[in-house]
Amino acid sequence: MKLEDSAAYAAKCFRGEPPSCAFACPFHMDIRSFLDKAAKGRWGAAYKILRDATVFPGIVAALCDQPCRQFCQRTVLGDAAIALRDVEAACLRYAKDRKPQAYVIPPKDKRIAVIGAGPAGLSCALNLAQKKYQVTVFDRESGWGGGLRSHPRFAEFDEELALQFSAVDLEFRFDSEVKSLDEVADFDAVYVATGADGESFGLLESWDKNLLTTSNPRVFMGGEICGVTLMEGIAQGITASKVIEVFLQTGKTTRPHGDHDYAEGCGRYLDHEGEVSVPLVVPSGPEGYTEEEARAEAARCLQCDCDKCLAGCEMLRRFHKDPQRIAREVYTDMVVNPPFSTRQVTREIYSCNICGYCKSVCPVDVDIGALSQFSRTARMSAGIHPAALHDFWLREMDFNTSEGAFASAPKGRETCKYAFYPGCQLGAANPEYVLRSYDFLRDTYDSGIILGCCGAPAYWAGDQARLRANVEATRRRWSEMGEPTLVFACATCESLFHLFLPEIPRVSLYELLAASDKISPAQPYPAAVVFDPCAARDDHGMESGVRELAGKAGVTLDELTEKNHCCGHGGHIRIANPSLYNEITRNRAEASDRPYIVYCVNCREVFASRSKECAHILDLVFDLPVTPRVPTLQEKRDNSVKVKRELMKQIQDIDFQPERHEWDSLRLIISDDLQKEMDQKLISEADLKEAIWRAETYCDKFYDEKDGMSMCSLIKPVITYWVQYRETAPNTYEVCSAYYHRMRLGQKE
Amino acid sequence: MAVDSEARTWKCAKCNVELVPKKAVLEYLGHTVSHEVPACPKCGKTMICQELAEGRMSEVEQQLEDK
Repeated sequence: MKLEDSAAYAAKCFRGEPPSCAFACPFHMDIRSFLDKAAKGRWGAAYKILRDATVFPGIVAALCDQPCRQFCQRTVLGDAAIALRDVEAACLRYAKDRKPQAYVIPPKDKRIAVIGAGPAGLSCALNLAQKKYQVTVFDRESGWGGGLRSHPRFAEFDEELALQFSAVDLEFRFDSEVKSLDEVADFDAVYVATGADGESFGLLESWDKNLLTTSNPRVFMGGEICGVTLMEGIAQGITASKVIEVFLQTGKTTRPHGDHDYAEGCGRYLDHEGEVSVPLVVPSGPEGYTEEEARAEAARCLQCDCDKCLAGCEMLRRFHKDPQRIAREVYTDMVVNPPFSTRQVTREIYSCNICGYCKSVCPVDVDIGALSQFSRTARMSAGIHPAALHDFWLREMDFNTSEGAFASAPKGRETCKYAFYPGCQLGAANPEYVLRSYDFLRDTYDSGIILGCCGAPAYWAGDQARLRANVEATRRRWSEMGEPTLVFACATCESLFHLFLPEIPRVSLYELLAASDKISPAQPYPAAVVFDPCAARDDHGMESGVRELAGKAGVTLDELTEKNHCCGHGGHIRIANPSLYNEITRNRAEASDRPYIVYCVNCREVFASRSKECAHILDLVFDLPVTPRVPTLQEKRDNSVKVKRELMKQIQDIDFQPERHEWDSLRLIISDDLQKEMDQKLISEADLKEAIWRAETYCDKFYDEKDGMSMCSLIKPVITYWVQYRETAPNTYEVCSAYYHRMRLGQKE
Repeated sequence: MAVDSEARTWKCAKCNVELVPKKAVLEYLGHTVSHEVPACPKCGKTMICQELAEGRMSEVEQQLEDK
């Protein structure tokens, strides 16, 4: 992986970039932060931003012509732009500590001549003097100020200059007009800022407005002599000081690193959705804003920055990293060099639902889910993935693509035009969902059936090899069946087929059911909202089919404010981040007081587990009892086997015999509470049976004579399971606790 | 010897001897840590109790996954 590969995923993200006002500001001041601090009454912090950006805040706050106001996004809402200069003036009054900038660094031997003691020359001179260069300022007048000397408020500006220069050492040579550059030939660099109509020493034509260089390599120029405004002149002095410093250190003339490129301007604006109009705060007295007024005016700032993805995504909010930083860390995580560096973004990457929400709200289509997917795939390929986080679902996929799989054209046929692809979880949740849907499709569309797995567990784990093998097997099966149109009940399956098997024609079960006059859905609730799964985003056929069916049932439907927000199941984050999973599932369950109608069994399981009233659309279609119960892992496995057994019998008249294990005959007694705990931890009864059978058969266990309690473990490739149990009758065991760990026991010391 | 939170006396079923505390090396994602756990003094079979697995061990697993 190269940095460019991961950075490309978030390259367009503009979160954190300066807002349009800062682009327009001659100083490119961080106006957003300044106003944020001001609104909070943190005048000292606000002053530091103002002083660092403008050098002479007392002059800028009085004289800036505020080009920022033309770009202020307040005007988009019909309000007056923020009165920035008035807030700046208030900041100067209310900031308690206005100490000038001073660095504790050793003095430097390079000498710089600044010709012109107007604001443009002084800003350059002050910055260089602060860096401990030897600066000499020449001016033909008898004091500093240049063009400002005749300004009615000059006394005030004089005081400001004195304050800012009070902490630096430099030489002022007033009444010293420099008529020729030969007079400053012994300086290492010269900055010419002689003001409007000042002396340019014949260098004006060769002046570079970006680098402030001239045809004489050690002479730089800026300020009103170059036709810029007073404010631009001060800003140029600041820039010149940086360019000169680079020149003195390297002999090269270049803009210093870290300077944002302001040349393009900011063309990005947000929609300010939900913002309300707030009128300009008018000062109550002639001296300007009171502190409260200034804070209120600063608080009108919309703090223009994009947080659309963070606002709606619990994962992004929890880790609070900008998309560009996540993209960088995806790369750096691939090249860690322990113990000198460690991974930074693992938990985020494996906590992402990969649901497409961020992309759907992003003004420039940045998709953190795709970035997470990219990272997971790269880490799996490099063998640096935390396998335990996806082991459970990959084992499920193995079952569903082997023992649970079945594909056939309808009875007596080799090929078919339609085949039902229910997905692995539909029948596991309730066999009737698959069996009844298949009856309908067989009778109406002469449909075949494919029981299998779309590959979502491999996709979300980043296991490309397993995913590819599954895709190829599915394509072969589909081809052998005469290339039928696949009928999908699961939006995740459909979206995976869209991605990896786009040549297969697809239609949603719900569209076909809605189009049938034989279907009369039952009404579980008079009013409900449809909870659309994240994978159905942009699948208008599936979304409208479900709504039509609910409408036929007479359910009054309401819409959620945010559709297609992942229920929490997406991306299989539950093991990687249980607390985030809980937060997401709680938020989704509480998104509406009304019951939900869902059409993804994973959504159903999430909501039923949280006791949220909800029905699957197939409960309505086939008038099935709406139950809040979630089947256990073992029941789900048994349900899948049942679906396969019944369909094989019905279509091929074959009695399906699932693989038998020696431990199948064991009877386990598991309390409801422990069963719930096991389902939460994704510990299956089958693994416990195997563990106990092995322990009892090979006497490979621990025991407590006191009450006959036993303890044993089962080491699977990724997880080690432990079970504490006691025999209550022959072949019958009461399970007292079940848990697991990911670590392996190594060599004993 | 009390070896878990319920103050049980566990014995190795194969060797029929009480477990004793022993330092064991635990490996995960290329990292190793050592911890004292109950083990059979004869055959060396080691036991991980629920408190350890779901407490400190789970924390360390997460830290190593994040590394």
